[in-house]
Amino acid sequence: MSNLLALLQRYYVLLMFLILQVFALVTLFSENNFHRKEFIRHSSDFAGWIYEKRDNFTSYLRLSEINDQLALENAMLRSLLPENYLQLDSTSLQELNVKGQVLFKYTPAKVVNVTVSRKRNYITVNRGMAAGIEPEMGVIANGAIVGIVSSVSKHYSVIMPVLNTKFQGSVKMKNSGEFGILEWLGGDPEYAYVKEMPKHVYIQVGDSVVTTGYSSHFPEGIMVGKVETLEDKPEENFHRVKVKLETDYRKLGWVQLVKNIYKVEQDSIMQQQIQMDGGEE
Amino acid sequence: MMRYVNIFIFVLIQALIISRIQLFDGLIIPLLYIFPLLMFPFETPRWLLLLVGLSTGVLMDLFTGPPGLHTSACLTLAFFQPIVQKLLSPREGYDSLQSPTIHKMGISWYLTYAGFLTFLHHAWLIFLEFLRWDNFLYQLLHILLSTLATLLLMILAQLLISPNKSK
Repeated sequence: MSNLLALLQRYYVLLMFLILQVFALVTLFSENNFHRKEFIRHSSDFAGWIYEKRDNFTSYLRLSEINDQLALENAMLRSLLPENYLQLDSTSLQELNVKGQVLFKYTPAKVVNVTVSRKRNYITVNRGMAAGIEPEMGVIANGAIVGIVSSVSKHYSVIMPVLNTKFQGSVKMKNSGEFGILEWLGGDPEYAYVKEMPKHVYIQVGDSVVTTGYSSHFPEGIMVGKVETLEDKPEENFHRVKVKLETDYRKLGWVQLVKNIYKVEQDSIMQQQIQMDGGEE
Repeated sequence: MMRYVNIFIFVLIQALIISRIQLFDGLIIPLLYIFPLLMFPFETPRWLLLLVGLSTGVLMDLFTGPPGLHTSACLTLAFFQPIVQKLLSPREGYDSLQSPTIHKMGISWYLTYAGFLTFLHHAWLIFLEFLRWDNFLYQLLHILLSTLATLLLMILAQLLISPNKSK
């Protein structure tokens, strides 16, 4: 017994180090850990508040740039006003626009912190649960994809942008309609890749890549980027499409959080089907 | 007491200012927030140093990145700091209440001491973050250049803080 105590006395620093280190690594690597989630929830409230203070100051320096972005978006929205469209007769209009129901709801939010240089980047914005933000909502800026809300605290949300190696999104080519999966491999914050596009499909350099609407995070046809080059490898059956992203994450000022009102319904009917088929493979 | 406040101040400086300086698309990211940790006096009890490392890391994790990343790297730093000090100790030993600074220990001693520990911290952090070896050369370059940038900032910080204040 006294030997054990002596041993403990001798190595307690090492022991303490190992215990704390294991605790840190478990927090780092287990995705669904309760402590981890609580930590993120509280830390984004605290850090978000401080980041917002900084941003209140630094955003003055970028006002003209933000103005430009807003003006552009205004012009785009104005072009969507009903006056700009040929009026069809009332019966067909009603069919088009089923009882005038809204599918997607938009909430604007100000970006208070962005990182682009890590492997898993995150964005903090100043709207949270109090503004009706929920995890899994889509995020766009100036009509282009930004990412998906990953966690929400009372007044802030943390977004997982495309620039995060864990991000995956369903996208398609605007012209050919062929779809694939968007992912980012780290490194350059201007480029991402589309995978799982079969090799027999012809892909035009310069074609736009847009969202599909399958994933229920985004409306269909939100801009992702333009095809830059094909980096195919002879041994693979799929294209490796390099895409220049439309969103410039280093200049992100305001974003819009998109809520799909029927997301729960859309996902639950899918789940039901999967369960009826006996679970996912 | 001032040491503990310093930790908080440097984490804030790191999160709000330095982390925004990302040279060459994130190839060089200086991490100055470990500076107050490196300044703890010789012969600080090791358990205390570990606790200080833990709180520095947790504080930094509050601001950036996946939780646990900076905590893990800072714990490693706090564990090895006294070991490195022991390896580098001069023949007559250290003055126990002294802090390891350039003014007291000389530039070459300080660069060896801080250089080694900063490299250890950065290497631990960056490998833990990437967890893959296919980009080994890039990561090595990333670690080396970031270490150099951190060292440079540490030297500047010490020149700015006057010697009698840094006791």
